[in-house]
Amino acid sequence: MKSLISATRLLIAASPRIWAAGLALSVLVLVMAAALLGLSGWFITAAGVAGIAGIGIGFDFFRPSAGVRFLALGRTAARYGERLVTHDATLKALAALRVDLLRGLSRRGYRALSGLRGEAALTRIVADVEALDGVVLRLWAPIAAGALTLALACLALWLLVHWSCAVFLAAIYGLFGAVILHRLGLLSARPSAVHEARQQTLRRRLIDLLRDRDALIVGGRLRQAASRLIALDHGLRATARKLDRAERGAAFGISALTSLCVAGMILLCGALIADGRIDAPQAAIAVFVSLALAEILSGIRRGAAELGRTLIAARNVVADESGPSTVPATVRTAMSPRLDPDAPVLRIEREGAETVLPAGQGLALIGPSGSGKTTLLMQIAGLMPAGPTRIRIQGIDIANWPEDALRRQVVLLPQRSALMAGTVRDNLTLAAPVGDEDLRAVLECVGLTGTLAPRGGLDLILGEGGAGLSGGEARRLCLARALVTRPALLLLDEPTEGLDDTASHRLLTAIRDFLPDTALCAAMHRNQEHFVFDRILYHQ
Amino acid sequence: MTLSDSVDGHVEGTQVVQPREDRNKPERSLLRPVAVRLRTAGALTAAAALIWPAQAALLATVLDGWVSGPVNWIETAVLAGAFLVLGLVRAAIDHRAGGRLFGAADVIVARERGRLIRRETRSRSEVSSAAIAATAVQTLPMLHPWITRYRAAMTRTMIVPAVILALALYHSWAVALILAAAGPLIPIFMALVGMAAEDASRKHLREIGTINTMLQDRLGALLDARALGAVGRVLTDFAARADKLRRQTMAVLKIAFLSSAVLELFSALGVAMVAVYVGFSLLGEVTFGAWGGGLTVWQGVFLLLLAPEFFQPMRELATAWHDRAAGRAVLGAVTEIEGSPRLPFLGKATLADPLPGPAALSWRTVSVRLGDTVRPLPDLTLEAGDSAALVGPSGSGKTTILHAIAGLLPLSGGTVTVCGRDLDEQTADSWRRRISLVAQTPHFPATSIGTYLDPDRTGRDPWPALVAAHADGFVRALPDGLQTRLGETGGGLSGGEFRRLMLARAIFEGRDAILADEPTADLDRHTADLVIETLCNLNRRGVTVLVATHDPDLAQAMAQRIKVGS
Repeated sequence: MKSLISATRLLIAASPRIWAAGLALSVLVLVMAAALLGLSGWFITAAGVAGIAGIGIGFDFFRPSAGVRFLALGRTAARYGERLVTHDATLKALAALRVDLLRGLSRRGYRALSGLRGEAALTRIVADVEALDGVVLRLWAPIAAGALTLALACLALWLLVHWSCAVFLAAIYGLFGAVILHRLGLLSARPSAVHEARQQTLRRRLIDLLRDRDALIVGGRLRQAASRLIALDHGLRATARKLDRAERGAAFGISALTSLCVAGMILLCGALIADGRIDAPQAAIAVFVSLALAEILSGIRRGAAELGRTLIAARNVVADESGPSTVPATVRTAMSPRLDPDAPVLRIEREGAETVLPAGQGLALIGPSGSGKTTLLMQIAGLMPAGPTRIRIQGIDIANWPEDALRRQVVLLPQRSALMAGTVRDNLTLAAPVGDEDLRAVLECVGLTGTLAPRGGLDLILGEGGAGLSGGEARRLCLARALVTRPALLLLDEPTEGLDDTASHRLLTAIRDFLPDTALCAAMHRNQEHFVFDRILYHQ
Repeated sequence: MTLSDSVDGHVEGTQVVQPREDRNKPERSLLRPVAVRLRTAGALTAAAALIWPAQAALLATVLDGWVSGPVNWIETAVLAGAFLVLGLVRAAIDHRAGGRLFGAADVIVARERGRLIRRETRSRSEVSSAAIAATAVQTLPMLHPWITRYRAAMTRTMIVPAVILALALYHSWAVALILAAAGPLIPIFMALVGMAAEDASRKHLREIGTINTMLQDRLGALLDARALGAVGRVLTDFAARADKLRRQTMAVLKIAFLSSAVLELFSALGVAMVAVYVGFSLLGEVTFGAWGGGLTVWQGVFLLLLAPEFFQPMRELATAWHDRAAGRAVLGAVTEIEGSPRLPFLGKATLADPLPGPAALSWRTVSVRLGDTVRPLPDLTLEAGDSAALVGPSGSGKTTILHAIAGLLPLSGGTVTVCGRDLDEQTADSWRRRISLVAQTPHFPATSIGTYLDPDRTGRDPWPALVAAHADGFVRALPDGLQTRLGETGGGLSGGEFRRLMLARAIFEGRDAILADEPTADLDRHTADLVIETLCNLNRRGVTVLVATHDPDLAQAMAQRIKVGS
């Protein structure tokens, strides 16, 4: 619940005024609907009374009939305004939630960040933010508007009819209505969680089956695997049925409650008329208003039914957004630390040995797969805790570098790198704006000029994740994106993977030519004997 | 109209649907198994809606009694009780009808999902597994609102307004005229405004889709953005794009909401006009419109209460147009997957008795169809216990040969002979009992390493196979050992480590022939040499080994090399 509240705060904070206007309009819509029915009922009953008494000529029919028309038109206008305003606010909140989530996640360490590439993680996150998108629109706004409307209606009945009618209305809709909706929230909480989990399992297992299909056929297990999926589907649909039953139960409750409220109001008004406390037209107001107010409960029903799912989503999103950060809280300022001009760009002390890398020189990290080359690179980049290894960049311990200042000095190219949808230029200028002259130079450096030029060069539009380029081209473009930032220290994880020796040599030479003063540190499988590497750090 | 329907029903009434025979056909065949159930449930909801006139009559009697004289206690109590009972009956019928409608939708979703799963297991399509899974799991349930709402709303629209109009006409031709005039005008105006905003709901959905795709794209590249120091710019850019999309969407929604406003305007005006007419008539200001003199109080209240219910089914149907459009989009997605080109495999993929005889294989003048081209494959003979490497550039057909030998592809010419018999529908399953396949692309399934190695839970010891594949070291080093969950992130295993696990699984199966596709890709030289040694050891123990590879060392280690492609 705490997460739900902080998620809600985030959504509202994006545009609090628009939400307030939306809420006011929602109340107006509900109030006008109730007033329309109440006024019409009063008007007809009063007209009937006057007609019977034969004083129809003296009856002021102008104002009530104008009121009826005004309410009818006003309600439509208010409804139109409400929808526009709340949708605008929802769309704003939607963007705000996603930006906040991205910001929170970006502070995480290497493992969490590379875990985000997994398709299951992506689907999960998107499903969660989507579940949260409507939380204000479908849950909080209807609750607030409903409560306000009920309060206003009760006040009106108190003033126009009798206090007991107001109390009765508040008790039935306020109390019993809340009980029904609360019960719905409770009843659907567990099935929602189970349903969500089963959905993810079925999705995951289906992908597993399709990707491992060849092995399943060869192993003669394909049919069995398919039947297991069908069984999972049974379970998934069983929870969906449970959820539907809970929601239909609440709908029944609300519908029955409305009838109960109207019937009770008839009895109450009958008693009041018999006592001579109110007259028939007043009673008509009370009965008609109690009929109209059923809408406030059905407005909240959907939000209440989704409460379980929303709570899970809120918990996940808040955890994602505020998860463990690798940015030290004390040094999040953008101020650059005072640099030691004589210190080497990079100094690594581990297991008693010291490795130093001055500007313009190269260091190759070598060792068998799984020996921790990537880990060391991530530690140098400040994306993993350094542990016992002591890493200093320009004389300052890695743990004391403010995030923004560090990124201006150190740039890392991970082994598996991703591009984004947009033009080649968009991708290259991701970190900072760079002139076309420089962009063309860097494409030349990584050997992409020839392949990209006929397809639009810098203006070539790439799809999601860089779709449209081959794997090798995408890798080169990622390298170019890192080179063009011209950092003091460039960390490369297997930059020549997939290239033959000649191509590797050419690429390493081109990198050095493009960045003559940069300190290069690269994890290598082969080619560590290239002249750009002045020293080699061997990993066990 | 309430707040709750404003998100999914935000464009109710904006779809201008042109019913055409060809468009309705897939729809009818989809719903055929539940057609009867849908019809009875629709009729039930119509019956529930028609209880309202009776309740309205009771309310009219109550108010009429109050206006005309002293309160009759017993009468009031009886009327209130009757009103409550009718309300409960109405709620109960709606509840029951809702259950039947949900059941119908459930049947359809189950059937479509089952068909999708079975179809995809029988034959491979070109659609990505993630897209298929998303369609089967997330998209198919979007059929629910369409099935549960649209049909029933249609039934109600055909019955309820007509009945109410008849009731109104019985009491007052003027009220009937007001309703009749406002009612049919609604679809006309909806169509007029709808033309300007026909696809507004689709645009809105696309906007959410676009923003989610953008989010996924940025999440996937978040490590790069951080490593490049580009997080700030990525966030600003995302916010700017989202804002631009929002402004575009709002421009469309402004028009789209107008059509539903028109719908509401007509129903609100209809109700207001009825109220005003009834009031004036009761006052004696208006003397026309009712049969035989003015209206009574009873008639006035009754007619006032009927008016909103006249419009209600039409408003519900307008919301359901949107559901129907969404349902059709789902149907389109399913049909698209269904119609994509497919590759069936040989046999049934069930456990058959192994083919007898030595695990030898050979083929001559064999060709396979790949897309539009028929590709001839080099001749091949492999006696039991032989070893061979398929070599050649990427895309030359090495993987295709391995798949054809495993019966995973149909041949377009020639025959493969395995264990001295033709490989066909009858022998494929039995032949596959003799072989193991190590695939080219590692896929980490969502199971533990133990289950991955021994999916049939035979209970045999997996360690000898792990040792043979040089995978025991890193599995032992994992904190959870064999219990480590693999899952998408691989449970901390690298691609090279998983490759050795794939090999261990093949060894664990203990078959007479191993087909391995690029078993040394992603491995450093040392580890690659260990894997080559493993394959040679297996071959020495009599296992037939056929590999497809780029690795010259592996190719050299095999007894023969077969060049694939030109």
